[in-house]
Amino acid sequence: MARIIVVTSGKGGVGKTTSSAAIGIGLALKGHKVVLIDFDIGLRNLDLIMGCERRVVYDFVNVINGEATLNQALIKDKRVSSLSILPASQTRDKDALNKENVGKVLEDLGERFDYIICDSPAGIEAGAMMALYYADEAIVTTNPEVSSVRDSDRILGMLASRSRRAELGLEPIKEHLLLTRYSPKRVAEGEMLSVEDVEDILAIPLLGVIPESQAVLKASNAGEPVILDTESDAGKAYQDVIDRLLGETVEFRFLVAEKKGILSRLFGG
Amino acid sequence: MADASIEFKGSSFTLSVLHLKTTTLVDLREDLINKIAQAPEFFYLLPIIVDIERVDSSIDYQAVKLLVEELKFTFVGFTGSVAKEQKKLIRDLGFSFVNSASQSANNSVNNKAKVDTSIKPVAAKPASAIKTQPVEVAPQLALYTDKIHRGQIRSGQQIYAKGQNLVIIGSVSAGAEVIADGNIHVYGSLRGRAIAGAKGHHQAQIYCQNLEAELVSINGNYWLSESMEQHWNSPAYIHLSDTELVSSKLI
Repeated sequence: MARIIVVTSGKGGVGKTTSSAAIGIGLALKGHKVVLIDFDIGLRNLDLIMGCERRVVYDFVNVINGEATLNQALIKDKRVSSLSILPASQTRDKDALNKENVGKVLEDLGERFDYIICDSPAGIEAGAMMALYYADEAIVTTNPEVSSVRDSDRILGMLASRSRRAELGLEPIKEHLLLTRYSPKRVAEGEMLSVEDVEDILAIPLLGVIPESQAVLKASNAGEPVILDTESDAGKAYQDVIDRLLGETVEFRFLVAEKKGILSRLFGG
Repeated sequence: MADASIEFKGSSFTLSVLHLKTTTLVDLREDLINKIAQAPEFFYLLPIIVDIERVDSSIDYQAVKLLVEELKFTFVGFTGSVAKEQKKLIRDLGFSFVNSASQSANNSVNNKAKVDTSIKPVAAKPASAIKTQPVEVAPQLALYTDKIHRGQIRSGQQIYAKGQNLVIIGSVSAGAEVIADGNIHVYGSLRGRAIAGAKGHHQAQIYCQNLEAELVSINGNYWLSESMEQHWNSPAYIHLSDTELVSSKLI
């Protein structure tokens, strides 16, 4: 059985798609068969982050409507062969999805892949509910600021009450906290919530802390998920996330501000 | 044009009902005075309805009304399931007769005004502890049972313990709402809203291990965060003294 993981947040712009792409590639690099699904119907982004926007012919909605087969719609990643992407439709709206037909597609994908990563749209409307409905696990992407934390809290409530697992009374969705855009320097200055603050409010296990990094924007624009940038802090932090998802215990990095060396202090760097 | 300045609407209120067990005015006066002495603030100008179901029809309605008004109650009317003739008599004497909700369901023909007869608990002292009493003001509410919730109450979630106390083993997030007719206990942080004694329970209390609430309310009296500074971010409980909310250190 494939593990269905939804990457969600409630709030927009916190890094769901960036994280979905990084986690998808990371798991595939470990040899797992992974499919990334873009649930943000009408605001297709995942293909851009993955750098496959020019290869989209058919999309998720075409598959649902029976206008294309899964084989036609799935885009194989050029860097990692065990990774596929199922893009969203840019021309339809979220009403194109319903529980039955999404369930059918996930079932078919489940036979071919080990991991199904669902990149959720922002908000708590039908689209986001559809993305989380069938999930076994949820990666709740949160920025260290109050509105993002509040929205994540709301989504956690939805996960516990509106998912298939909740409706059927099965074991609840396994929740993970992924803190993104974390800046230890600003935490120290009291401008940002700390890891402890967020953990205290949300009370779910911490999967990873991704430091605020120039590398993320650069990677997004280049269509090269940041996890492939093994030199960057963000890339390394996502690598740790993958190891933790696969059950390893990895120490958290990038939680304290780097002390400036004597040289950079001298030269004002 | 005449309607522009007023509007009639039906609404339910919690009113206290004074059940008479005797028509002897001297006894009534003595027991009422004793009762009032236990909680003068609470009884002052309290609107009451007098239930005459358990006394015979020889009662002096005018005298009863004057007695309760003299003792600074606000007299509303009489109630009780009595014969039609008696109701008519009461109305002819110039007093209103109020059908309780259950009565008016049976004969809703002539009296449209529904008045909720549920009763506010009156004094901490149980009714039975008071000496022989022809006057019974309010039966104590039965002890509440507990509704227990394990885990966080997330933003946007709402929990209501109807006719129960609410125990939460976990935190209540900002944007969440917990409501109980009895007490509320939060074994975690209270960051959302907590409404205890929702149906009018003066003795209801709110306990939490960490007070960071957006709003707390007991029996309709509420506080916003800014009023909780004294015990902010620490274990506290909130209760009602007369009509003022008070917070106290929990441990």
